[in-house]
Parts: sequence; structure tokens; C-alpha cells
Amino acid sequence: MANENILVIGGGPTGLEAAKGIADLGYKAILVEKRERLGGTPDASGYAALTPDMRDAGEAMDEMRAAVENNPNVEIMLNTEVTGAEGETGNFKVKAKSAGNEVEIEAGAVIIATGFTHFDPGRETQKYGYYEHDDVLTLVDAEKMLKEGNFVRPSNGEKPKRVAFIQCVGSRDRQIGNEYCSKVCCGISSKQAIEVREMVPDCKVFIFYIDMRMYGYWENEIYWPAQEKHKVNYIKGMATEIIKKGDHLIVKGEDTTMRRPMEVPMDMVILAVGMEPSAGTRQVADIFGVKKNQYNFIETIGGALNTVSTNVEGVFAAGACTGPSDLEDCISAAGSAVMKSIAAVRRVAVPA
Amino acid sequence: MIHLPVVKATDRKFEADPDNAPTEDIREELFQLEKEGELEVIRVPDNYIELPTKYGRMKKIPVEKTWHHKSCGQCGHIPGYSTSIFWLNRQFGLDYYDPTDQTSCTAWNYYASATSNPEAQAAVAIRNFAAADEVGYFPLIHCGTSFGHYKEVRHALVHQHDLRRKVKKIMERLGKKLVIPEEIVHYSEWVLAMKDRIAERQEIDMSNITATVHPACHYHKLIEEDAIYDSEIYGAQRTAIVTGTLQALGINVGDYSTWFDCCGFGFRHILVSRDFSRSFSVQRKIEVMKEEVDPDIVVTHDTGCVTTLDQSQFAGRAHDKKVGLPVMSDSQVAALAMGAHPYKVLQLHWHNTDNKPFLRKLGLDIDKQWAEFQAEVDLIKAGKKEYMTWEDADK
Amino acid sequence: MMALDLSQNKHADVSYEEKERLFEEVKADERWHHVLYGCYECGICVAACPSARFYDFSPRVIAQAVAREDIDLIYTLMSDSIWDCSQCFSCDRCPRQNSPGQIITVMREVAVKNGLQTAKDALQGYGRIIYKIMATGSQVSPDMLQPDAFPDWGTHVYEIAENLEEWRRALPPETLHTTETGWKVDQKTIIELYLIWHMTGVMDLIEGVDEGLFMILVDVMEERLEEAGYDDITFD
Repeated sequence: MANENILVIGGGPTGLEAAKGIADLGYKAILVEKRERLGGTPDASGYAALTPDMRDAGEAMDEMRAAVENNPNVEIMLNTEVTGAEGETGNFKVKAKSAGNEVEIEAGAVIIATGFTHFDPGRETQKYGYYEHDDVLTLVDAEKMLKEGNFVRPSNGEKPKRVAFIQCVGSRDRQIGNEYCSKVCCGISSKQAIEVREMVPDCKVFIFYIDMRMYGYWENEIYWPAQEKHKVNYIKGMATEIIKKGDHLIVKGEDTTMRRPMEVPMDMVILAVGMEPSAGTRQVADIFGVKKNQYNFIETIGGALNTVSTNVEGVFAAGACTGPSDLEDCISAAGSAVMKSIAAVRRVAVPA
Repeated sequence: MIHLPVVKATDRKFEADPDNAPTEDIREELFQLEKEGELEVIRVPDNYIELPTKYGRMKKIPVEKTWHHKSCGQCGHIPGYSTSIFWLNRQFGLDYYDPTDQTSCTAWNYYASATSNPEAQAAVAIRNFAAADEVGYFPLIHCGTSFGHYKEVRHALVHQHDLRRKVKKIMERLGKKLVIPEEIVHYSEWVLAMKDRIAERQEIDMSNITATVHPACHYHKLIEEDAIYDSEIYGAQRTAIVTGTLQALGINVGDYSTWFDCCGFGFRHILVSRDFSRSFSVQRKIEVMKEEVDPDIVVTHDTGCVTTLDQSQFAGRAHDKKVGLPVMSDSQVAALAMGAHPYKVLQLHWHNTDNKPFLRKLGLDIDKQWAEFQAEVDLIKAGKKEYMTWEDADK
Repeated sequence: MMALDLSQNKHADVSYEEKERLFEEVKADERWHHVLYGCYECGICVAACPSARFYDFSPRVIAQAVAREDIDLIYTLMSDSIWDCSQCFSCDRCPRQNSPGQIITVMREVAVKNGLQTAKDALQGYGRIIYKIMATGSQVSPDMLQPDAFPDWGTHVYEIAENLEEWRRALPPETLHTTETGWKVDQKTIIELYLIWHMTGVMDLIEGVDEGLFMILVDVMEERLEEAGYDDITFD
């Protein structure tokens, strides 16, 4: 008798959406999360507002969590990490360590939703000094400050007068090895720029970029308002060094529009760090024998026509564990994974 | 005037992960080629110290049995620089070799005039390495340009088999093997590796000294991964070279906003387009150092950098630029700390910008010391002595 | 500081075929596919470049020109721009892993090899250095520290020049007791250097840059090679 439960590994937005979808279709989801609470990276990293609609991230995660907690069709296992797996569609036996105890989970199909981690700017090719200067931050640091409503210079606690965002940190770089574009950072930086302008109206905000990746509605929902309503300065030209001078940080770059080198003082610099596969993504992929691509994201087979199937039948992957994804991608992929995983167990249960 | 401490890591700590380095380890590639009979690798002698590089890989720095690959500019114009490196080796009783079977790396000419080609450059490098190997010593490179250039040559020889083939043929004609050292080591890496031993023998207190550091472009910008990085210094975000040495001697290292800038040597420019070199070094380096830190000395670790930063200040003075910072190498500072004679060993009379205030601040009786040096010179002038010896230098 | 004229009318006296031939030679270099990938005009190379602050010089423009294979622009840059580069390789920070500095090195080698007048002009006055390195195997020597050679280094040079002989003898390392060379070099070593330059075609490059210098060098080198027993080596 084939098992028709679906194991969802990862309790972030993708995993939460998948678990809810499975439950809505009348099947049982087993949602495994290694942290002590659900919500994934938006929760762990303290995101303030979501891109692009500026919805409060905490509120959005509360909604997603509420849909699965107290849901009779969703069994939630927190503090649980997958350690081994064997079997096939209809009959997966997965070992896990749950709050210190060894457990075994039986499921018919698996959805990996283990997400991403942010690029560590210490590995950046350019000289941004994240590990030297208090006032150099990442998007994650900035997000935390914005959530608290306390956007100040870490060095002296004062409100900044000039803030710069630097795009493509850890992405689009052959020397680091992350040649891809992380997709969301242009939008997130612009969103944060808008938040900073609103929170600190005296503060001038600059974004140094190579290209502005504003797909679809992001163009008119984020980019144009950022420039037109909030007067964020977009400068086409990348920075190569950040170094302290007196009380400021000097950002050295080229203003390619003016075709000359520029050195501009800033109070804070925010590095738009890219996405990399999380440690969980690498580990879980190896446990299930799922193929990873050259960047160690999970490889989905089927190109543009199949964004969730892996090389292992019955094991699906959705969201940022497969590559740079925005929230809309994650939610959509979760739905696709739910559909395919249920179809897979039904095929085994009721052979054609 | 701001005395800034060296920027240390904030609460954040960065650790490089050598297992996830984005490049292949060139040393593994060398050993592989050796297995295939393509070349021979000169192994680092047994007595070595390891230092971390940019991606966290450890680099072997030979302590002794070093073959000193000298620098044109040092030996030609600032011979105290080379002398101080030898002096340090002698103080520790280390077995070293100062060759006459050595050519210039010819990289200065290459970067200045391009009147050469990769084949010639590689052949010159290998010829020197073979000369070291033939006497059983391991190359230690004195010049930053040579160092960067040889890293490039190593990379080219490993990845371009056509070049390797051509160079092998030339070596055969010269009766030499195609040999490459296991590591390309710059002398300042040796000084950094020896910093604790140097500090143990420190005689002159330097805690009242503030210095600025200028890292040579060709040391850390060419083949960037092969340079020393340390999470305790600049949070491993900038090369630890020179800074690490000075801090071990108790010197306050001040940070300034053009730290990463080139000195303006320009290879060709310092010789035939000098307005560039002197303008750049004065306006982008010396003036900024003076305004932001006002150090007692500027310390660097490359021939071209010492030359440009030191010599350009004269023209700067003529234009009322705020200059006047003495320049020396890390090896000279280290030797001085260990009690080396400022004129007989450091040979500071070849340097241009006035270094007497710095020496006096250390409490040295430089009038007496200059007289001691002059006494040696007088003996030579009078024909009573042919040369000043190492023994004379330490009297 | 000359303004860089990027118009297509510059160097109209040189035929398009000739300009194209030179660029083909640049592309044929074994290093080419390691030094030029693609360029997304981020400007990091310009941001890090010392020459960009002093001259009207842009490694980004050079990388773009060769990536676009804009023949006229490339020739202009090869004539008027490449000698401004200070070869510091700060531009090796390029995230695409281009090396504008090495692109320029290759272009320079082609310019020298083809005897471009602009290359000769750029290296005017540099001949004495080439002579020094070719004749002695080291680039600068103590006896070059003369007031007329480095006038902007100030009066200190007078003191050095006056005391040169004695001050060189007052150096502890034995290999530094020289004035005509940086350090004492074995004759055998110099011969090996000549052989290398002979076998790698470097002497032809010298001839293209400065024929007078070439002839002086050839005399010196051929004489020494003959003394060392290499009768078969000539530099024509």
C-alpha cells in the first residue's frame, strides 16, 4: 500500500505554501524545519517589508504560519534535521534527528524547500571592508534596522545623511564563482532605499549599479517611484573600494555616465549581497542523491517547462534551493511541486 | 591630523574556507605536471613557516636555504634595502645564498616598454629558478614587481602547454631544466613569518612611532589569491603584509583613505613621463598620509614604491605640497628595530626625504652614527680599505 | 593631459585593412581568451585605475572597444592611449575576469612589433634603459644616478654622484661592489640572457623601436657571444 503523505523539508515561505497546498487538497503534509520556529529566512533574518508590495514581512509570515498550525492535515516537526533517506515514490523512509531523538518519517513523495543563504561579503572580490567598518552593512543588517524603525549609523548611533547601496555583491562575478544574477537584490535595495527615504527624510540615498534588474511590474511599482517620488539617486557605475576617511566612508567607483572616476563620502554603505545555496540545501540534496548544479543549487530537470522535478523520481525541489528566486517564484514553485508530488503518489497508489 | 589605529575586524569575524576556494590550487597543478614529466618542482626546504593566503590556503615560507633573487632598483639605487634583507638573515645565522648567476627578472622593462614577449619573460624566470636549483637553494624574491610577474609566469606555464614547450627548448639549449619553485615567495612574506623572532630580538623601542603602510600593487593585485591575508589584520579584507610586521614591532599603523592606490611608479612613467609619477605619488599618497595620519615613516615592501614615494617629494616641496615623510622598507625598519646601524646597514643616505627626525625620535645618536659611517668611507677613500665588510657594519 | 579623440576621423591616413591586420595580430595572441571575456561596463577597472585619474584614459573604453571589435577605435587607442597605462593591474579586479592591463600589454607588444611610430614616440628617451638591461642584465645601475638623469629628484643626487665609488664600496654585501651594474653578474649569466633574447625574437623588437640602439647592442652582444664560443649566433 503506497504511502500518500508528502514530506516537505524546510519551513520557509516555499515550504509553508507547499504544506498548505497539500492540506487543501486533502492530503497529509509532514513539515520538517530545523529551526525552532517556522518562517524561514524572512523570519530568521528579520525582514521588514516584502518586495514589491511593501507588505510587512512579519505579518505575511504570521499568515502563512497560521494556515498550517492547527491544520489537521499538517504535521509540523520543529528542531528537526533530515539525516538519511532511502526508498522510492510511494515508499520513502527518511531518518531525522528531532529535538535530540532519532526518528523515522515515512512519505510517498518529498518536496525540498531548504532555501538559500546570503553571500558572505568577506569573500567579495572588491574591497568593501565589511569586516573592517561598522558602517558597512548588508541588506540583511539594514532590513533588521528598518524593522525596528531604528535606521542609524552603527558607529555612532546618529541618523545618516548619505547612504549608498552597492549592487551585485557576490553575484555576476567570475572570480568568486557566482556568475549568476541573484535576481532580487535590485528590487530589495530599491525597496530599502524607499524605506530609508521615508524613515530619514533628510538622508540622501544612492544606488550604485551595473544594471537595474526590474522585471515586469517591479519597473513601475518600485523603480519609477523610487526615482520619481522618493528621489533615490541611481548611478550607473560600480564601486571598487570602501575606505574610511575621517568620520565618513569613501566609496570609490566610476560614474560611467560622466566617464570619470568618482570618490564620494557616505555615512553608511549597504551591500546588496546575493543568494547562495544554504547549508541545508547542500546536505539534503546529497542525502537524497539529488543532483546539484555547479553553484551547488539543486538542479531541476526540464528547463523552462518544469521548475520543480529533480533527477530523483518522487523528490521535488521548490524555491530558492533551486537558484535565485523572488517570493513570487517561491510561491508559484511551491504550487507546482504540490501538484506534481501528489500526482506522483497517486500514480503509484492507482497504477494506470 | 588624525591618528587612526589600524582598522581591525569589528564584532564580525571572517574566516576563509580553503575547501571552498573558487580556484584550483596552482601547487597541485604543478605537482601534477611534474608527475607527467612536464617540469620539475623545487621543493620548499624543510625549515619553513606557514602563513595564510586569501582563500585560506596555507603558504610555505622557507626560513633558510634561500637564494636571494635581487632587485634592479634596490641594488642600483637603494642598496640599503637589499643590505637589510641580508643583514636580517645573518643575524639569525641562517644559511642563505647571494648569487652572481642572477639576471633581472626584466619585468620592469616589460611593463614599461613591451619590448619583449611572454616566451622571453618566462625563459628569463626559469633560467633564474634553474640557477637557484643548481646550487641547491630556494628562490626568495626581493622585488614586488618580480614577485607579481613570476606569479603570472607560473600561471602561464601551467596553463599554456605551447609556452611550456618553447621554454623547455630554450632551457635545453642553455643546458638547464624546466624548474619552478613550489611557492613563489616574496622576501616581505619571510619578514612577516619571522616577525615574532625579530620582535624577540628587538633592541629599539618603537612604540612612539606611527607609520603608514603602502602595499605594492604587484604584490597583492596580480594573482590576488597568492598574497598573505590574516583574519586578525584588517579582518582579512586587505593583505596583512607589512602591517603585520610593523605591529609586531609595536609600531602604530595608521589607516588612510588612499591605502589601495598605486604609488604611481608606472614602470615607464617613472623614467620618461615623470609628471605622472610624481604628481600621483605626492597628491594621492603622501599628502593624504600626511593629512590623515601624519606618520613618522611610510613603510612599503617594493623597490618601485620606495623609489617613487621617496624621490617624488622633492618636487612636491618645490610646489609647496604638504610632504616630508621618510620612506623605507619593512626590512629596513625590522633591521633598525634589531639594532642595525642606520648608515652602515640601512644605508639611509641613499634615501631622499629627510629621515633624521624619525631616527632622532627613536633616541638614536645619528651624528655619532654618521661619523662612524664616514670613518669607514674615509678609510676607503684613503685606500686603506677596499670594502666595508659585514663585521665592520656591526662594530 | 590630452583629450582622447574617439572620433573615427583620427588616423585616417592608415588604411582600414592595416588597422584590421593589427587587431587580428592582437587576437591571435595565446593570452587573448584569458584576458578578454565580456564587459558589462561596471567601471570597476576605471574606479581602481591610477592613470584614469591623471590622463583621459579609460580601461573600460579599451575593454569595450576590443570586445566590440571596433577597428577604428582600437587603432586610435593603440596609438594614443595604451602608453598611459601604469601596468599596476588594479583592473584585475574585474568581476568578468577581464584584465584591461593585460589587454594593453598585448596591444603594446603588437605596436612595438609592428614598429608603430606612436610606440617609438612613447619610448623615446627610454632607450638608455633598454641599453642598460641588455648590456648588463639589470635595469638600473648606480652610475645612472646623475643630476641630469633625474633632475626632479633634487639636489640629493649630486651628493650621491660625487661619492658613488666610495659609497658603493661601503656596502657590506660583496655582490653590490659595482657602479656600472646593480650587482655583480657572471659573464656566463649575461651570455645566457643574450641567448634567450636571440631565441625569442626580442632583438627584432628592439630593432623596430630604436634602430640605432639595436646596432650598438648587436655589436656588444655578438662580440661577447663569440668570445664565449657561440660563433653561430648573429642578430640580423
